[in-house]
Amino acid sequence: MNVDFKLGKHISVVVDDLEEIDPTEGMPDAELFSVIDHSDLESEKITAPRYSYWQSVFRVFFRKKINIIMLGLLAVIVLMAYLYPMFVEYDKFGNLMNATAKHLTPSAAIKQFGPNIHWILGTGAAGQSTFDAIWYGSQISISLALVVALINMSVGVIVGAVWGFSKKVDNVMMIVYNIIANLPYILVISVMVMLFTAGFWTMVFAMTITGWLAIAYFIRTQVVIIRDREYNLASRCLGTSTIRIAMKNILPFMTSVVVTLAATEIPSYISYEVFLAYIGMGLKEMSLGRLIYEAESAMLTPGWGFEFWSPVAVASIITVVLYVVGQNLGDASDPRTHM
Amino acid sequence: MAKYLLKRLFHGLLCVIVVVMLIMIMIYSLLDRNLIFASDSVYNHQQNNQKVAYRYQKWEEYGYLDYVPYADFMNDLAVSGEIDEETRAVAVSFGRTEDKDSDLAKEYIEKFKTKYQSQGYKIERLDAVMMGSRKIASGGQQQLFAYKDIPLSHRLWNYFTGIFRIDNINEIENDVGDRGISFTLYDPVYGGEKFSPAIIGNGTRHKYLVYCDSKFPFIHQNMLTISLGTSYSVNMGVDVFTTMTKTQGSYVASTVTYPTGLTEESADDLHSATYLADSLHSSLIYESRYIDDYTSVDTVKSGLSKMGYSFLIGIIATVLAYLVGVPLGITMSRKKDRLVDKIGTLYIVFIIAVPSLAYIFLFKAIGGKLGLPTTFDMDTANRLVFVLPIISLALPQVANLMKWLRRYMIDQMNSDYVKFARAGGLSENEIFSKHILKNAAIPIIHGIPASVLGCLTGAIITERVYVVPGAGNLLTEAINKYDNGVIVGVSLFYAILSVISIILGDVLMSMVDPRISFSSKAR
Repeated sequence: MNVDFKLGKHISVVVDDLEEIDPTEGMPDAELFSVIDHSDLESEKITAPRYSYWQSVFRVFFRKKINIIMLGLLAVIVLMAYLYPMFVEYDKFGNLMNATAKHLTPSAAIKQFGPNIHWILGTGAAGQSTFDAIWYGSQISISLALVVALINMSVGVIVGAVWGFSKKVDNVMMIVYNIIANLPYILVISVMVMLFTAGFWTMVFAMTITGWLAIAYFIRTQVVIIRDREYNLASRCLGTSTIRIAMKNILPFMTSVVVTLAATEIPSYISYEVFLAYIGMGLKEMSLGRLIYEAESAMLTPGWGFEFWSPVAVASIITVVLYVVGQNLGDASDPRTHM
Repeated sequence: MAKYLLKRLFHGLLCVIVVVMLIMIMIYSLLDRNLIFASDSVYNHQQNNQKVAYRYQKWEEYGYLDYVPYADFMNDLAVSGEIDEETRAVAVSFGRTEDKDSDLAKEYIEKFKTKYQSQGYKIERLDAVMMGSRKIASGGQQQLFAYKDIPLSHRLWNYFTGIFRIDNINEIENDVGDRGISFTLYDPVYGGEKFSPAIIGNGTRHKYLVYCDSKFPFIHQNMLTISLGTSYSVNMGVDVFTTMTKTQGSYVASTVTYPTGLTEESADDLHSATYLADSLHSSLIYESRYIDDYTSVDTVKSGLSKMGYSFLIGIIATVLAYLVGVPLGITMSRKKDRLVDKIGTLYIVFIIAVPSLAYIFLFKAIGGKLGLPTTFDMDTANRLVFVLPIISLALPQVANLMKWLRRYMIDQMNSDYVKFARAGGLSENEIFSKHILKNAAIPIIHGIPASVLGCLTGAIITERVYVVPGAGNLLTEAINKYDNGVIVGVSLFYAILSVISIILGDVLMSMVDPRISFSSKAR
């Protein structure tokens, strides 16, 4: 799955049998050759097969069966997370007064409330449906991860590209990086959370305020590696402008790097949200992390298992699926795999 | 080489200073300073003006501002001899409201105001809070004080100059008799008969400056103490560094001979005696045991310190991870695209993608089913309590090592020198162990100091899940309890470790690989 390396090409030369007898021997030239008129239109035609970059990316991507399965799973999860809450009224404290509805296992919940999709994962501490809760939670967690990744990736890629190109910027940014990288990330986030309320956008702000720097540093290293390659040197010697080099020579090379990076970043934000919630610094909305955090305190109560393990499992499935799809898309977006 | 390293170290220290500065800006200037009282029970029980005064007093203690009550100002005047004791006693009591001040008090209050206002202080006068016409409400006494916020530069300077404290014979201001340092070959703690050299000071903060005992590293010192900042709510009044390095667990009693000759079964560690002003005659227990005011002693405990537990678990996990991860990484790269490689890749994906919280709980659940203890206990003799935390720390590290080593080795496999070696007729084993591994291991070796020193900081989730009394939770605990001293101290500690580990990594790399050189000559 995680094919993040390139196969070595094996060039094999088949030496034909040189002793073969020529079957055309003894025929007159008129039988062997026919005259073709010169045509301007024909000579302009390019006979190589048409190459579309994105078409090839998806051709390579869908060649693997696992990707189709993973993409299907991803579609199911995203649909559940975004559509299911629209049709279901979820009230966390709806069953609060019902003392018998708390911490139920699936079978007990179905026995009590009748067979319904809400109860197939049991109930939580306030008698709420765990199944509903995890989809509400997934929606918040996935949205958070996507928004944070979008901001961090775009800022990081742009800054990283400038950082890699300009030596002056590099000197300044290295100092900034050395300082910010030593600031404990948890501290930055918690100070932001304490300054504002622990809402969704505060969390986005806290996770992006220094989060882009690591991505920018990664992109900078990649840019530095290919900036001085021979083909770029040749371009520069031929008088290509820096912007054109950046757009035409370096950006296409970076596509697969960026996609691969996004594949690790998005799941990592979901994991990080879970981690922050677990240490008590997370969102106040019912994200997956917050569900895990609240279920963990009920660990000694009988029937806590489903309440705890289902958000853990859903978070893990989301991150694994996103990671695998992203990694394989990253591989597919490398033109060297298009052969 | 040495010059280059010094330069790097200097740059690193500058970065650390800026980091501390940024953290100080964040927590002292950006955060609401009332938050620090969130878990202070003394504060919550106070009322009215007393509460306000207590607040300023605490803010001074924790470095927010400089706070001067009027009474202190008058005391200073009396001590310097400017006014006599009688004038002080009269002038120090000021009225419930401004117009009820006596003439003498008015005069000195005016002096107090002009003196501090000229220095940029703000003067605050709180009138008495009354209950009825005569009775003052609880905590409602009138207050008069001056305060000034400490500027960042000042705070930084104080913090960094206060980190290292060298004990000297003029440390204690009180009268302690003959100040001086004496050297003895026969430590009185051991009854004065056993050969054990020690340096004992009088007038110093610690009684024993240098002493020997049977514990590693056998010679100990108290001369140089490191203080990273005083804790407020995490460990009231104790320094962060002490919090991290102090032993925990149950008391270990042994036969102790006190300076008076009294012999008792006790856990007191007489070598740790520090000066506590006027303590000798404050209790009969002290009087029966000690002959001077060096009565504040630590106790000997059975467990390790917070940092000790974190490091012990971390270092075993790291060593295990290298022992398992490196051979597995090599095997994966040699059997590329075969079953071993595929299983390994699956494992790596699992560790990278699944939230760490999820797999640590999974390990805990599996371990619990196998009958391993899932909660850590300091006092048990059962060594199995270490198993699950170590496994939980080692398995992700194994995945990381496998991932990178495999990647580096496969990158090397396609390079020209490998093709040349193969063309030259070397066996695959030779190529892998003598050529590829040596080159692929360089980036891995670069990370060794970071992973070893990283063990000192502890692991947040693992320690929380298995209730290990380690250092990993210190920062999160401090943040949750708004303990500024601990936040700054711990962050400084982390920053120093990361700077040192990168430099050490470079040094190690240049030692392993002769092609890498940091001296400008060889370039």
